[in-house]
Amino acid sequence: MRTISARQTGIIIFLTILANKILLLPSIMYQQTKADSIFGILVIFFVELLILSIFLYVKLKFPNENLQEILQKKIGHFCAKFIIFIFLIFFLFKTMLTYSVVYVYLKDLVYQDEFGFLAIVCFLPVVNHGVICGLRSISRTFELFFYLVIAGILFCFGIAFFTEISMPVFFTANPLTIFNTSFKYLFSFGDYLVLFVFIEKINLKKNDVKKFLRFVILGILIVSSIFVIFYAKYQITAFMHNNALADLLVFSVQFNAIGRLDIVAMLTIMTLGLFQLEIFQYAFCESFSMVFTKLNNKFAIAVFDILFFVIYFILIGKYELMINFTTSYLCYFSLLSNFLLPFIIFAVSFSKNKRIKNKGVRDEKSN
Amino acid sequence: MGQIINEKINNFKKQLHNSDDFSSRVFVCKKGTIGFVFLKSMSDPTLFSQSIYLPIQNFSDEINAQSLIEKILKNNVVEKINENEIITNILDGKVVIFSDFFDEIISVDIAKYPTRIPSEPPTSPVIQGPREGFVEDFNTNITLLRRRIHSKDLVFETLNVGKVTQTKVVLSYIEGIADQKVIDEIKKKISKIKIDGIVDSYYILSFLEKRPNSLFKQIGNSEKPDVVVSKMLEGKVAIIVDNSPIVLTVPFILIEDMQSSNDYYTNHHYSTVVRFVRMFGLLIAIVAPGFYLALQLFHYNILPLNFLITIADTTQGLPFTPFLEILFIFLLFQILYEVSLRLPSYLGLATSVVGALILGDTGVKAGLISPPGVIITALAKIALYTVPEEQSQITVLQIVFIILGGSLGILGIVTGFVYVVNYLNTLDDFNSPYLAPYAPRIKEDLQDALIKVAPNEMKSPPKSFSGSKEGEK
Repeated sequence: MRTISARQTGIIIFLTILANKILLLPSIMYQQTKADSIFGILVIFFVELLILSIFLYVKLKFPNENLQEILQKKIGHFCAKFIIFIFLIFFLFKTMLTYSVVYVYLKDLVYQDEFGFLAIVCFLPVVNHGVICGLRSISRTFELFFYLVIAGILFCFGIAFFTEISMPVFFTANPLTIFNTSFKYLFSFGDYLVLFVFIEKINLKKNDVKKFLRFVILGILIVSSIFVIFYAKYQITAFMHNNALADLLVFSVQFNAIGRLDIVAMLTIMTLGLFQLEIFQYAFCESFSMVFTKLNNKFAIAVFDILFFVIYFILIGKYELMINFTTSYLCYFSLLSNFLLPFIIFAVSFSKNKRIKNKGVRDEKSN
Repeated sequence: MGQIINEKINNFKKQLHNSDDFSSRVFVCKKGTIGFVFLKSMSDPTLFSQSIYLPIQNFSDEINAQSLIEKILKNNVVEKINENEIITNILDGKVVIFSDFFDEIISVDIAKYPTRIPSEPPTSPVIQGPREGFVEDFNTNITLLRRRIHSKDLVFETLNVGKVTQTKVVLSYIEGIADQKVIDEIKKKISKIKIDGIVDSYYILSFLEKRPNSLFKQIGNSEKPDVVVSKMLEGKVAIIVDNSPIVLTVPFILIEDMQSSNDYYTNHHYSTVVRFVRMFGLLIAIVAPGFYLALQLFHYNILPLNFLITIADTTQGLPFTPFLEILFIFLLFQILYEVSLRLPSYLGLATSVVGALILGDTGVKAGLISPPGVIITALAKIALYTVPEEQSQITVLQIVFIILGGSLGILGIVTGFVYVVNYLNTLDDFNSPYLAPYAPRIKEDLQDALIKVAPNEMKSPPKSFSGSKEGEK
């Protein structure tokens, strides 16, 4: 099997952590909890680190087995497929959300026109091709662009400081509002779940865990920094700026002096958006192959494309609907997918040995 | 007497279809007749007379196979062969000796044919460093490699390829450094080649490549022995094809084309700068025209105001749309390039005058094309030659990115770029990732990638070509 290294897995997670969080999320969260949104996302990140430790536990316990094999042994064929089917739905909507957020950015700041179909023509063939190329190719591409993405983000951070910024005002929202807001936008999180669907393709040993976690922490730090710098720069007008990373550049002294530097943010966001779509679609196709074992990867891609077009015409054409949909319905769904499913997997993997032991005892008795 | 020998000679001549360059001699002695056959065009008749025929004639003792090999022809390269090898030996320029009083068939090497003297290859000149280049004769090429690697582990293995041409394809590698799996795979691929003739090393390229229909080259090549030797020291296998001055090297990764032999004969800091310039040049060559189009058509608000005004001023009243204008200029440059390649050198100046002055300057003055368009396309075309080995691939990519940038804007450029990188990452012939040592990152090989460290700091051989990569299996 063609596996990927711990470093490549770390980079995949680093880039997926940034998904849906660096453009629209800081702005829409600000509307409810002001700068205290940062506490909400930090709490979610903390919980997600626990989820990540479940992944690491499962991976180290079953180094060569895929999710279906792990689940099937304990809870049976049907339940295993059902759990993976929930993953499938999660990744489908995750892709749609990522697409709609990038779409809003491109429409507002880059093309300044309705260009939905053009964006699909640009994105879908490349994303499909990425999935066909496979996880190793995707991870190598991510690895190649990793430093460029970091440089792009740091550049945006750096330019943001060439303007008047002041410490955001914290502790204005009450904990319940922070909790409610965090819950509302829960679907924007849960990116670690991608690891579960290609768990067997990751070459992760106990001594690689540190290397892997370094990228996770870096991702969390960058997302938190975007929130803080964005709020520090725009203060009470933060809710008006829908594209956090790109808007960090606007109004900076150097920005005006040198010329239009938003090309850097533009390239970074386009690249990031594309990578996130690739990895979520890959996760979708992997889940699909596990649920529908008789259908091959190309069929999974075709199904994804059809669903993508259908949902596009229902929701993304009116992208506000898509975002509203994720905050009103999908937050409940993500409670199940982001937290409950990993704990089920943990419980299953935890009790697996016990069952084998019991079976062994039974076998001994029968002998 | 000698009837059997004459019959045999006639038989060989018949097998070679009574070719005019077929030559034979007969020597009659007390014990019987000795026959000699060779090709005048491939052998040296003077050498034959002086070192073979005359010594036999002057030999006073009893002549037999043993005395021939050990005494008479002891100063020559002599080999005992069997009947099936006679024609091949004749075609190789050897003289084949046989007789009616001994059973052995003897072949003596007297091959002589016109060959070029190793000189500096026009495609890879150097400022400092060795100036020798490979020639068409494979024996000379072998010597050029052997002279540089004084090791018992240097191996040459010859295979004949081509149903009609029976061209010699020589595999060269250093035992213990080259990966045995790679050697076996190459041998397997070469032995499976079914083709009438191999005229040049490029003929066998597609048979060795994993994806012969791919735009990107998957096999390295060089005309310089010092380059090939350094690649062999890294664990690669060199493939020398008779009648071709271009030696192929396997496996190949993209970073090799960013490295020039000049880099190894100058200061390593300078080499690092030059490699970054090449990388930048490669990027400009691929995306500059497409990017310019994207900015002009979709994202003009990104352009600095002064530049925007210049573009607006110069593109007013042009008969072409920006997209067609760039395509037109691109086509013009490509035509000039093709013409300059095929024209005799004394017409080169005329081509430059026609190209630069008449087509370029007058084209702008006539309002057919705009100066920014000419500059951008010319920049891309010149930047292409920072990595001349990738010239054909980049030219195709330029057209693709012009179409993407002109129809989809920057998003088209970015998606196209990611598509190409994704594709390149699937190329890992002979277990060597195409974009190594950056994707996957191979820490040890970064010392001679874009950044080049001093030679005394390069302690380990490259790992990009060896079996498994860290973490990736």
